[in-house]
Amino acid sequence: MSVIAAGTTYLVEVRLRPEFTDAAGAAALAQIQAAGFSAARQVRVSTVYEICGPLNQAHVQQAAKELLSDGVTHEFKVLNAPPVLDGMNHWRVEVWLKSTVTDSVGESVRRAIAELGLPEPEAVRCGSVYRILGRTTKNVLERTVRRTLANPIVHTFTVTEAYD
Amino acid sequence: MTERRDRAGVPARRVGEEVVGGRQTGDHAAALSVKASDAGSLRFTVLPPKELKELSARLGWSLNEPELEAIRAEFKKVGREPTRGEIETIAQTWSEHCKHKTFNGPVRYSDGKKSRLFKSLFNETIVKATKELGKPWCLSVFKDNAGIVQFGRSGRWALAVKVETHNHPCAVEPYGGAETGIGGVIRDVLGAGLGAKPVLNTDTFCLARPDYAGALPGGALHPLRTLRGVIAGVRDYGNRMGIPTAGGGLWFDDDYRLNPLVFCGTAGLMPSWAVRKDVKPGDLIVAVGGPTGRDGLHGATFSSATLEGEADRQAVQIGHPLNEKRVLDALMAARDRRLYRGVTDCGAGGFSSAVGELAQDCGAKVALEKAPLKCSDLAPWEIWLSEAQERMVLAVPPKNYPELEKLFLAEGTGCSVLGEFTNTGRLVVSHKGAPVADLDMEFLHDGMPRVERRAVWGLVPKPKSRPCGARKGPADRGRLGAILIRMLGHLNVCSREWLIRQYDHEVQSGTVIKPLQGMRHDGPGDACVIWPVAATGEWADQAGFALGHGLNPSYGRLDPYWMALCCADEALRNLLCVGADITKASFLDNFCWASPEVPEQLGGLVRAALGCHDAAKGYGVPFISGKDSLYNQSRDEKGRDLAIPGTLLITAVAPVNDITHSLTMDFKGPGNSLFLVGVTKDETGGSLLSQMEGCSGEVPKPDPKAAARAFKAVSGTISKKLILSAHDLSEGGLGVAVAEMAFSGEFGASLELDQVLTSPAMLADETILFSESPSRVLLEVSPKDDLAFMRAMKGVPVRRIGSTTANPLIKVSGQDGSVVLETLLVELKTAWQHTLPEAMR
Repeated sequence: MSVIAAGTTYLVEVRLRPEFTDAAGAAALAQIQAAGFSAARQVRVSTVYEICGPLNQAHVQQAAKELLSDGVTHEFKVLNAPPVLDGMNHWRVEVWLKSTVTDSVGESVRRAIAELGLPEPEAVRCGSVYRILGRTTKNVLERTVRRTLANPIVHTFTVTEAYD
Repeated sequence: MTERRDRAGVPARRVGEEVVGGRQTGDHAAALSVKASDAGSLRFTVLPPKELKELSARLGWSLNEPELEAIRAEFKKVGREPTRGEIETIAQTWSEHCKHKTFNGPVRYSDGKKSRLFKSLFNETIVKATKELGKPWCLSVFKDNAGIVQFGRSGRWALAVKVETHNHPCAVEPYGGAETGIGGVIRDVLGAGLGAKPVLNTDTFCLARPDYAGALPGGALHPLRTLRGVIAGVRDYGNRMGIPTAGGGLWFDDDYRLNPLVFCGTAGLMPSWAVRKDVKPGDLIVAVGGPTGRDGLHGATFSSATLEGEADRQAVQIGHPLNEKRVLDALMAARDRRLYRGVTDCGAGGFSSAVGELAQDCGAKVALEKAPLKCSDLAPWEIWLSEAQERMVLAVPPKNYPELEKLFLAEGTGCSVLGEFTNTGRLVVSHKGAPVADLDMEFLHDGMPRVERRAVWGLVPKPKSRPCGARKGPADRGRLGAILIRMLGHLNVCSREWLIRQYDHEVQSGTVIKPLQGMRHDGPGDACVIWPVAATGEWADQAGFALGHGLNPSYGRLDPYWMALCCADEALRNLLCVGADITKASFLDNFCWASPEVPEQLGGLVRAALGCHDAAKGYGVPFISGKDSLYNQSRDEKGRDLAIPGTLLITAVAPVNDITHSLTMDFKGPGNSLFLVGVTKDETGGSLLSQMEGCSGEVPKPDPKAAARAFKAVSGTISKKLILSAHDLSEGGLGVAVAEMAFSGEFGASLELDQVLTSPAMLADETILFSESPSRVLLEVSPKDDLAFMRAMKGVPVRRIGSTTANPLIKVSGQDGSVVLETLLVELKTAWQHTLPEAMR
């Protein structure tokens, strides 16, 4: 029997500060509107990293601050679990590469964390979070996402109602 | 060795079912299927033919009946059952992707009157022309991963060029497909000779219109989504590798809606001593780059199959540009220290094709357990065939290995010895001592049965629509202006700035003539000129090269033969217009066609190949490399077969002897003379005019010999610095060309149509303005140089047809002297610039 290393898994979400224009969000908004979710009013995009390995909270804070975000334009949060709150027409769409697909960004981040002098993570995956504001149903949104933001051939995605 | 289990007693069909199930239901089932499919014996030699065919289909081999029989006969001769690894290796090597069965195979062609048997279509058309031309500066043609020609006058450098297609993967996952496409062609150039350093990427896409509103079958992506994805893929990979993307094209036709075409090209520089590989028995087989995973199995056989509903999803991957950059840097360092004797990339077929290629003339012994893996549950045959990206295979003399390993490890990329090259003429593969494959190299590379295919070409019936330019009655003054504005806004003509700006075309700082030109850096360039100083390091040497394309599937709908000549003509003119030395130009061909099993489709392909031969001979320009992608057809939403229009991309590359002499297409000042080189004929078939006005005409027919003479004369005047700007006439003819030159330079133009040299003498104004007769270029010459220019152009059809003006409008006088077109530049430019951004919203 091999010993499974008891690494902890952290989620780091890096997003643009609200005062900055989110070009990627605007592009995603146009796409999901054209694909049928015409009531969408706003989309903000952030990047989320799943870091798994022998790191502690302080290590992850340091990596997020020095490597994954830009102090001027970004803010970041280290999450323990994705927030699930009452939606009020706020949606959270997470898009991840399937585990069988090479995640080149995640792989580069894994190496870069080690190069910061921190313990090397066992695995890092990188995904996108779309925070969408607009009145719709989960089914409609899932269909829209499948047509625009995620390709089920390489991606998995989740749609949750979540304020924030 | 717990995963190896003897399943000889289980009927083979059962094995197949499990594998198919594994593909569809995910990881767990896939792991199960690995165990099952690694059975020692498939009882291949005793299965009835029908079951054998089913097995081939289920396991994704894409082998046809004669091929299956040939394999069976070979193993009956050997006296044992083949292993899964052996059949997989053969299936990869014999796939359309690797062996180009149709192009290399016999074809019986008939066009109604004559019939002809080609023993090998490729050898008797394209290769034949190159051989007959016998250009001494072609250093390596059709053999290696890329075509290699001499570069510069010092004799120290060589230029490797390759253009690939990556159509099937881009249809299911555009971003990953385009990424791995560009990654693959970069590795082709890295694996040409002993490796060339990439200095230029190009991309050409053929897609359905982004505003396509018709129905699509399940599983097909909307063309807008495909376009967004492929642009992002090429952008991300090229930009992250630090290679400029400075050339390419875009063509919209709704018949590409199920089978988009993605052509990726790369050009690279290498020292001339590195052109030849020289693998010797005893050299180590060294794998470098990323680890091997279960990515993209069956990519090569995938390209032999038509794309339908349930495509083999494992053939889709996402690229890792930083890994490839590491391989590139380490490889170049190792090359310059001459640490290895052979290199090739792991493309379709992975290790099996890379090792097979390098060992073609000797033999190889491989131990797969030494390959670094991404996951531990890979079956040996999966390691052997995985198409994990960003890997290359080297042939390294044992004494050099420690130094080589140090170089690759320092770059942070993997490096491991898989085995050694031998002189046995056999490919022997094992995993932890257990045999995976033991094949005769000769059978592997030459044992494929040749299937004769039938090709038929019947003339396309004459269209019933009225001929172009046949409108009766007095000319309506606003009409031609309105047509011109609509032409400039047509998707196949409009500005590509939206897309070009996403690519880094400046990195390596050698892009002399850029894709966007003119006063405001937004005019359409003909070709790019690259000064590869980043690769050569020779700052005093001002030698560069130009690369341009020719593509027009609309002509191909009428006759692929003339399409081939027109594409070659346009590609050459694009080079001519930036000041390249076209007497040393070379061509690359990329054919994308529907199923070659349909005789009418194959007939078109034969016509195009014949056209390539005649173009090469006529223009005196050899083909140095090429690629074909067949089976580009799929069932549409109603279950009917939708074939793409036969498509040929001709890429031309030529040296620019002095980059300071290169030229852009924008008008440089007012009061300069405008000369039109070439004869305007009534050739509107397949033209933009015919598509917009619903009229018909003759397909343009170049005369290569006459054109080559004219091009040579123009080239002479450019090197004498007599020309201020030059632009070729393509879609939309004279009207579109003069408008583009004018709004890019922000000077107007006044033209007199009665000065244009036409044949026959009488043509409608509309035809003169919009005919797409080939071999024509529009040149701007300072009035003081008029005489010198005319003298240099002696014997070439050329006329002064007007002049540039300070007034920002285009004014055209018809043959009767009245003004037939008068339009402000701002109107023209606005129409030209608005289309793509609006379509991409």
